[in-house]
Amino acid sequence: MRTFLLNISSPDGKLFSGEAVMMTLRGIEGDLAVMAGHVPFITSVKPCDVKLLLPDGTEKIGHSDGGLLTVAADGVTLLGSFHW
Amino acid sequence: MGANIKALKTRIRSVDSTLHLTRAMGLVASSKIRRANEAMNGGKQYAAAFGSVVDLLTACPECAHSPYMKKPEGERTCLIVIAGDRGLAGGYNANVFRLVAEMHYDRIVPIGKRACDRYKGEFFSSEDFNGVQATNMARKLCAAYMAGEFDKLGIVSTKYVSMMTQEAMVTWVLPLERPEQAEKVAAVFEPDEESILNTAVPDYVAGILMRCVRESFASEVAARRMAMDSAGKNAQSMIDELQLQYNRARQGAITQEITEIVAGAGE
Repeated sequence: MRTFLLNISSPDGKLFSGEAVMMTLRGIEGDLAVMAGHVPFITSVKPCDVKLLLPDGTEKIGHSDGGLLTVAADGVTLLGSFHW
Repeated sequence: MGANIKALKTRIRSVDSTLHLTRAMGLVASSKIRRANEAMNGGKQYAAAFGSVVDLLTACPECAHSPYMKKPEGERTCLIVIAGDRGLAGGYNANVFRLVAEMHYDRIVPIGKRACDRYKGEFFSSEDFNGVQATNMARKLCAAYMAGEFDKLGIVSTKYVSMMTQEAMVTWVLPLERPEQAEKVAAVFEPDEESILNTAVPDYVAGILMRCVRESFASEVAARRMAMDSAGKNAQSMIDELQLQYNRARQGAITQEITEIVAGAGE
Protein backbone atom coordinates (compact mmCIF):
# COMPACT_ATOMS: atom_id res chain seq x y z
CA MET A 1 0.00 0.00 0.00
CA ARG A 2 1.34 3.43 -0.87
CA THR A 3 2.10 5.73 2.02
CA PHE A 4 2.92 9.41 2.43
CA LEU A 5 5.00 11.36 4.91
CA LEU A 6 2.82 13.09 7.50
CA ASN A 7 3.82 15.72 10.04
CA ILE A 8 1.44 17.02 12.69
CA SER A 9 2.67 20.00 14.73
CA SER A 10 0.96 22.10 17.36
CA PRO A 11 2.36 25.12 19.23
CA ASP A 12 3.34 22.65 21.97
CA GLY A 13 5.62 20.74 19.61
CA LYS A 14 5.65 17.95 17.06
CA LEU A 15 2.93 15.41 17.74
CA PHE A 16 3.34 13.02 14.85
CA SER A 17 5.98 12.46 12.23
CA GLY A 18 5.96 9.37 10.06
CA GLU A 19 4.34 7.44 7.25
CA ALA A 20 0.58 7.16 6.95
CA VAL A 21 -1.77 5.53 4.45
CA MET A 22 -4.75 7.82 4.84
CA MET A 23 -5.83 10.83 6.88
CA THR A 24 -9.45 11.92 7.22
CA LEU A 25 -10.44 15.34 8.54
CA ARG A 26 -12.87 18.19 8.07
CA GLY A 27 -11.76 20.97 5.76
CA ILE A 28 -13.48 24.33 5.55
CA GLU A 29 -15.58 23.10 2.62
CA GLY A 30 -16.33 19.63 3.90
CA ASP A 31 -14.83 16.29 4.94
CA LEU A 32 -11.84 15.10 3.01
CA ALA A 33 -9.32 12.30 3.00
CA VAL A 34 -5.71 12.51 1.96
CA MET A 35 -3.87 9.56 0.44
CA ALA A 36 -0.52 9.19 -1.27
CA GLY A 37 -0.34 11.07 -4.57
CA HIS A 38 -2.88 13.74 -3.59
CA VAL A 39 -2.72 16.91 -5.67
CA PRO A 40 -0.82 19.83 -4.01
CA PHE A 41 -3.45 21.40 -1.83
CA ILE A 42 -3.83 23.99 0.93
CA THR A 43 -6.95 24.40 3.06
CA SER A 44 -8.13 25.57 6.44
CA VAL A 45 -9.20 22.87 8.87
CA LYS A 46 -12.32 23.10 10.99
CA PRO A 47 -12.36 21.77 14.55
CA CYS A 48 -12.84 18.03 14.03
CA ASP A 49 -11.64 14.52 14.80
CA VAL A 50 -8.68 13.53 12.67
CA LYS A 51 -8.47 9.87 11.73
CA LEU A 52 -5.18 8.34 10.64
CA LEU A 53 -4.69 4.96 9.00
CA LEU A 54 -1.13 3.78 9.60
CA PRO A 55 0.84 1.33 7.40
CA ASP A 56 0.46 -1.46 10.00
CA GLY A 57 -3.32 -1.22 9.67
CA THR A 58 -3.95 0.51 13.00
CA GLU A 59 -6.13 3.56 13.31
CA LYS A 60 -5.23 6.60 15.36
CA ILE A 61 -7.69 9.34 16.24
CA GLY A 62 -6.80 12.85 17.34
CA HIS A 63 -8.65 16.10 17.65
CA SER A 64 -7.82 19.31 15.84
CA ASP A 65 -9.09 22.66 17.11
CA GLY A 66 -8.69 24.16 13.67
CA GLY A 67 -5.59 24.85 11.68
CA LEU A 68 -3.99 24.56 8.30
CA LEU A 69 -3.48 21.53 6.08
CA THR A 70 -0.76 21.59 3.44
CA VAL A 71 -0.39 18.79 0.93
CA ALA A 72 2.83 19.07 -1.05
CA ALA A 73 4.88 16.65 -3.14
CA ASP A 74 7.31 16.08 -0.28
CA GLY A 75 4.73 15.42 2.41
CA VAL A 76 1.60 16.42 4.21
CA THR A 77 1.64 18.86 7.13
CA LEU A 78 -1.14 19.61 9.60
CA LEU A 79 -0.47 22.71 11.66
CA GLY A 80 -2.55 24.12 14.49
CA SER A 81 -3.85 23.27 17.91
CA PHE A 82 -4.07 19.48 18.12
CA HIS A 83 -4.23 16.72 20.71
CA TRP A 84 -4.56 12.94 20.72
CA MET B 1 39.81 41.22 69.58
CA GLY B 2 37.39 38.47 70.67
CA ALA B 3 34.35 40.38 69.40
CA ASN B 4 36.05 40.88 66.02
CA ILE B 5 36.68 37.15 65.68
CA LYS B 6 33.08 36.37 66.48
CA ALA B 7 31.79 38.94 63.99
CA LEU B 8 34.02 37.49 61.26
CA LYS B 9 32.82 33.98 62.02
CA THR B 10 29.17 35.05 61.73
CA ARG B 11 29.84 36.76 58.41
CA ILE B 12 31.63 33.74 57.00
CA ARG B 13 28.68 31.58 57.98
CA SER B 14 26.17 33.92 56.36
CA VAL B 15 28.15 34.18 53.10
CA ASP B 16 28.47 30.41 53.14
CA SER B 17 24.70 30.00 53.30
CA THR B 18 24.38 32.44 50.36
CA LEU B 19 26.85 30.26 48.49
CA HIS B 20 24.68 27.20 49.13
CA LEU B 21 21.66 29.08 47.88
CA THR B 22 23.31 30.22 44.64
CA ARG B 23 24.63 26.70 44.05
CA ALA B 24 21.17 25.21 44.51
CA MET B 25 19.58 27.77 42.19
CA GLY B 26 22.33 27.21 39.62
CA LEU B 27 21.70 23.46 39.75
CA VAL B 28 17.95 23.91 39.35
CA ALA B 29 18.59 26.16 36.33
CA SER B 30 21.02 23.64 34.79
CA SER B 31 18.51 20.84 35.14
CA LYS B 32 15.90 22.95 33.34
CA ILE B 33 18.18 24.00 30.49
CA ARG B 34 17.93 20.82 28.45
CA ARG B 35 14.14 20.68 28.58
CA ALA B 36 13.86 24.41 27.87
CA ASN B 37 16.12 24.05 24.83
CA GLU B 38 14.12 21.14 23.45
CA ALA B 39 10.89 23.10 23.91
CA MET B 40 12.49 26.11 22.20
CA ASN B 41 13.50 24.01 19.18
CA GLY B 42 10.00 22.52 18.97
CA GLY B 43 8.51 26.01 19.02
CA LYS B 44 10.95 27.21 16.36
CA GLN B 45 10.09 24.31 14.06
CA TYR B 46 6.37 24.95 14.34
CA ALA B 47 6.72 28.69 13.75
CA ALA B 48 9.03 28.09 10.78
CA ALA B 49 6.66 25.53 9.22
CA PHE B 50 3.71 27.89 9.66
CA GLY B 51 5.80 30.83 8.50
CA SER B 52 6.66 29.18 5.19
CA VAL B 53 2.97 28.56 4.41
CA VAL B 54 2.01 32.10 5.43
CA ASP B 55 4.83 33.50 3.26
CA LEU B 56 3.47 31.51 0.37
CA LEU B 57 -0.01 32.93 0.94
CA THR B 58 1.06 36.54 1.46
CA ALA B 59 3.04 36.37 -1.78
CA CYS B 60 -0.20 35.69 -3.71
CA PRO B 61 -1.64 38.85 -5.24
CA GLU B 62 -5.11 37.68 -4.17
CA CYS B 63 -4.16 38.21 -0.53
CA ALA B 64 -3.17 41.85 -0.92
CA HIS B 65 -6.65 42.94 0.23
CA SER B 66 -6.59 40.89 3.41
CA PRO B 67 -7.12 43.10 6.48
CA TYR B 68 -4.01 41.53 7.98
CA MET B 69 -1.90 42.96 5.17
CA LYS B 70 -3.19 46.51 4.89
CA LYS B 71 -0.78 49.33 5.66
CA PRO B 72 -1.35 50.63 9.20
CA GLU B 73 -3.23 53.93 9.26
CA GLY B 74 -1.96 55.03 12.63
CA GLU B 75 0.79 54.26 15.06
CA ARG B 76 -1.25 52.63 17.80
CA THR B 77 0.94 49.79 18.98
CA CYS B 78 0.15 46.74 21.05
CA LEU B 79 3.10 44.93 22.60
CA ILE B 80 3.25 41.48 24.11
CA VAL B 81 6.02 41.65 26.71
CA ILE B 82 7.61 38.39 27.80
CA ALA B 83 9.68 38.41 31.00
CA GLY B 84 10.46 35.80 33.64
CA ASP B 85 8.44 34.51 36.58
CA ARG B 86 11.32 35.10 38.97
CA GLY B 87 14.24 37.43 39.39
CA LEU B 88 17.88 36.55 40.15
CA ALA B 89 18.65 35.99 36.49
CA GLY B 90 21.21 38.72 35.90
CA GLY B 91 19.98 41.41 33.55
CA TYR B 92 17.36 39.18 31.93
CA ASN B 93 14.21 41.01 33.09
CA ALA B 94 15.83 44.45 33.15
CA ASN B 95 16.94 44.19 29.52
CA VAL B 96 13.41 43.44 28.36
CA PHE B 97 11.92 46.31 30.39
CA ARG B 98 14.60 48.72 29.15
CA LEU B 99 13.77 47.86 25.53
CA VAL B 100 10.05 48.39 26.21
CA ALA B 101 10.76 51.76 27.87
CA GLU B 102 12.57 52.90 24.70
CA MET B 103 9.59 52.07 22.51
CA HIS B 104 6.32 53.76 21.80
CA TYR B 105 3.31 51.69 22.89
CA ASP B 106 -0.38 52.10 23.66
CA ARG B 107 -1.24 48.75 25.11
CA ILE B 108 0.75 45.98 26.75
CA VAL B 109 -0.10 42.31 27.19
CA PRO B 110 2.36 40.88 29.73
CA ILE B 111 3.52 37.28 30.06
CA GLY B 112 5.59 36.15 33.04
CA LYS B 113 5.07 37.18 36.65
CA ARG B 114 7.62 40.00 36.57
CA ALA B 115 6.03 41.59 33.51
CA CYS B 116 2.50 41.09 34.90
CA ASP B 117 3.47 42.84 38.15
CA ARG B 118 5.04 45.70 36.26
CA TYR B 119 2.39 46.29 33.59
CA LYS B 120 -0.66 45.16 35.59
CA GLY B 121 -2.25 42.56 33.39
CA GLU B 122 -3.91 39.18 33.62
CA PHE B 123 -1.37 36.72 35.02
CA PHE B 124 0.34 34.25 32.67
CA SER B 125 3.30 32.18 33.78
CA SER B 126 6.16 32.23 31.29
CA GLU B 127 7.35 28.80 32.40
CA ASP B 128 4.03 26.99 32.08
CA PHE B 129 2.62 28.93 29.13
CA ASN B 130 0.95 26.37 26.86
CA GLY B 131 -0.43 26.09 23.36
CA VAL B 132 -4.05 26.55 24.44
CA GLN B 133 -3.24 29.82 26.22
CA ALA B 134 -1.21 30.98 23.23
CA THR B 135 -4.06 30.17 20.82
CA ASN B 136 -6.63 31.96 23.00
CA MET B 137 -4.44 35.03 23.40
CA ALA B 138 -3.65 35.14 19.67
CA ARG B 139 -7.33 34.82 18.73
CA LYS B 140 -8.29 37.65 21.08
CA LEU B 141 -5.53 39.91 19.78
CA CYS B 142 -6.33 39.14 16.13
CA ALA B 143 -9.99 39.95 16.77
CA ALA B 144 -8.96 43.26 18.41
CA TYR B 145 -6.68 43.98 15.44
CA MET B 146 -9.51 43.29 13.00
CA ALA B 147 -11.78 45.56 15.06
CA GLY B 148 -9.22 48.33 14.59
CA GLU B 149 -8.19 48.65 18.25
CA PHE B 150 -4.52 48.93 17.27
CA ASP B 151 -2.44 49.13 14.09
CA LYS B 152 0.66 47.16 14.94
CA LEU B 153 1.35 44.08 17.03
CA GLY B 154 4.83 43.31 18.31
CA ILE B 155 6.36 40.83 20.72
CA VAL B 156 9.18 41.89 23.02
CA SER B 157 11.12 38.81 24.06
CA THR B 158 14.65 37.58 24.57
CA LYS B 159 16.70 35.99 21.82
CA TYR B 160 18.74 32.99 22.86
CA VAL B 161 22.11 33.53 21.18
CA SER B 162 24.11 31.08 23.28
CA MET B 163 24.47 29.86 26.86
CA MET B 164 26.46 33.02 27.59
CA THR B 165 24.57 35.63 25.56
CA GLN B 166 20.90 36.56 25.41
CA GLU B 167 19.53 39.70 23.77
CA ALA B 168 16.22 41.48 24.22
CA MET B 169 14.53 41.88 20.85
CA VAL B 170 11.23 42.85 19.27
CA THR B 171 9.41 40.80 16.63
CA TRP B 172 6.75 42.58 14.58
CA VAL B 173 3.87 40.22 13.87
CA LEU B 174 1.02 42.28 12.43
CA PRO B 175 0.43 43.61 9.84
CA LEU B 176 1.89 40.80 7.78
CA GLU B 177 4.61 41.73 5.36
CA ARG B 178 4.86 40.55 1.84
CA PRO B 179 8.01 38.47 1.35
CA GLU B 180 10.42 40.03 -1.15
CA GLN B 181 10.96 36.91 -3.13
CA ALA B 182 7.59 35.64 -4.15
CA GLU B 183 7.54 31.94 -4.73
CA LYS B 184 4.78 30.80 -7.02
CA VAL B 185 3.23 27.46 -6.22
CA ALA B 186 0.89 25.40 -8.24
CA ALA B 187 -1.48 24.21 -5.56
CA VAL B 188 -5.22 24.05 -5.11
CA PHE B 189 -6.45 26.52 -2.49
CA GLU B 190 -9.73 25.75 -0.81
CA PRO B 191 -11.80 27.95 -0.67
CA ASP B 192 -9.37 30.71 -1.78
CA GLU B 193 -6.04 32.25 -0.78
CA GLU B 194 -7.43 35.18 1.18
CA SER B 195 -9.91 33.17 3.27
CA ILE B 196 -7.23 30.64 4.13
CA LEU B 197 -4.87 33.41 5.14
CA ASN B 198 -7.49 35.13 7.29
CA THR B 199 -8.35 31.95 9.18
CA ALA B 200 -4.70 30.88 9.50
CA VAL B 201 -3.34 34.14 10.93
CA PRO B 202 -4.49 33.58 14.57
CA ASP B 203 -2.80 30.16 14.61
CA TYR B 204 0.28 31.68 13.00
CA VAL B 205 0.42 34.41 15.65
CA ALA B 206 0.00 31.72 18.33
CA GLY B 207 2.96 29.85 16.82
CA ILE B 208 5.19 32.92 16.88
CA LEU B 209 4.05 33.76 20.40
CA MET B 210 4.83 30.24 21.58
CA ARG B 211 8.25 30.35 19.93
CA CYS B 212 9.06 33.66 21.64
CA VAL B 213 7.87 32.44 25.06
CA ARG B 214 9.90 29.24 24.77
CA GLU B 215 12.98 31.08 23.55
CA SER B 216 12.64 33.61 26.36
CA PHE B 217 12.32 30.86 28.94
CA ALA B 218 15.43 29.11 27.61
CA SER B 219 17.22 32.48 27.82
CA GLU B 220 15.95 32.97 31.36
CA VAL B 221 17.32 29.69 32.67
CA ALA B 222 20.61 30.22 30.84
CA ALA B 223 20.87 33.76 32.25
CA ARG B 224 20.03 32.50 35.74
CA ARG B 225 22.67 29.79 35.53
CA MET B 226 25.33 32.27 34.48
CA ALA B 227 24.23 34.75 37.17
CA MET B 228 24.29 32.06 39.85
CA ASP B 229 27.69 30.82 38.66
CA SER B 230 29.25 34.24 39.01
CA ALA B 231 27.43 34.94 42.30
CA GLY B 232 28.79 31.62 43.60
CA LYS B 233 32.31 32.58 42.53
CA ASN B 234 32.00 35.95 44.23
CA ALA B 235 30.71 34.35 47.43
CA GLN B 236 33.61 31.89 47.41
CA SER B 237 36.23 34.62 47.01
CA MET B 238 34.53 36.63 49.76
CA ILE B 239 34.67 33.61 52.07
CA ASP B 240 38.37 33.12 51.26
CA GLU B 241 39.12 36.73 52.11
CA LEU B 242 37.10 36.64 55.35
CA GLN B 243 38.72 33.36 56.32
CA LEU B 244 42.14 34.98 55.90
CA GLN B 245 41.08 37.92 58.09
CA TYR B 246 39.67 35.52 60.66
CA ASN B 247 42.88 33.47 60.77
CA ARG B 248 44.97 36.62 61.18
CA ALA B 249 42.75 37.91 63.98
CA ARG B 250 42.90 34.53 65.71
CA GLN B 251 46.66 34.35 65.32
CA GLY B 252 46.96 37.91 66.64
CA ALA B 253 44.89 37.06 69.71
CA ILE B 254 47.03 34.02 70.49
CA THR B 255 50.29 35.94 70.03
CA GLN B 256 49.03 38.66 72.33
CA GLU B 257 48.05 36.13 74.97
CA ILE B 258 51.49 34.47 74.84
CA THR B 259 53.21 37.86 75.08
CA GLU B 260 51.12 38.71 78.10
CA ILE B 261 51.93 35.39 79.81
CA VAL B 262 55.65 35.68 79.02
CA ALA B 263 55.70 39.27 80.25
CA GLY B 264 53.89 38.22 83.45
CA ALA B 265 56.34 35.32 84.10
CA GLY B 266 59.41 37.58 83.53
CA GLU B 267 58.52 39.94 86.36
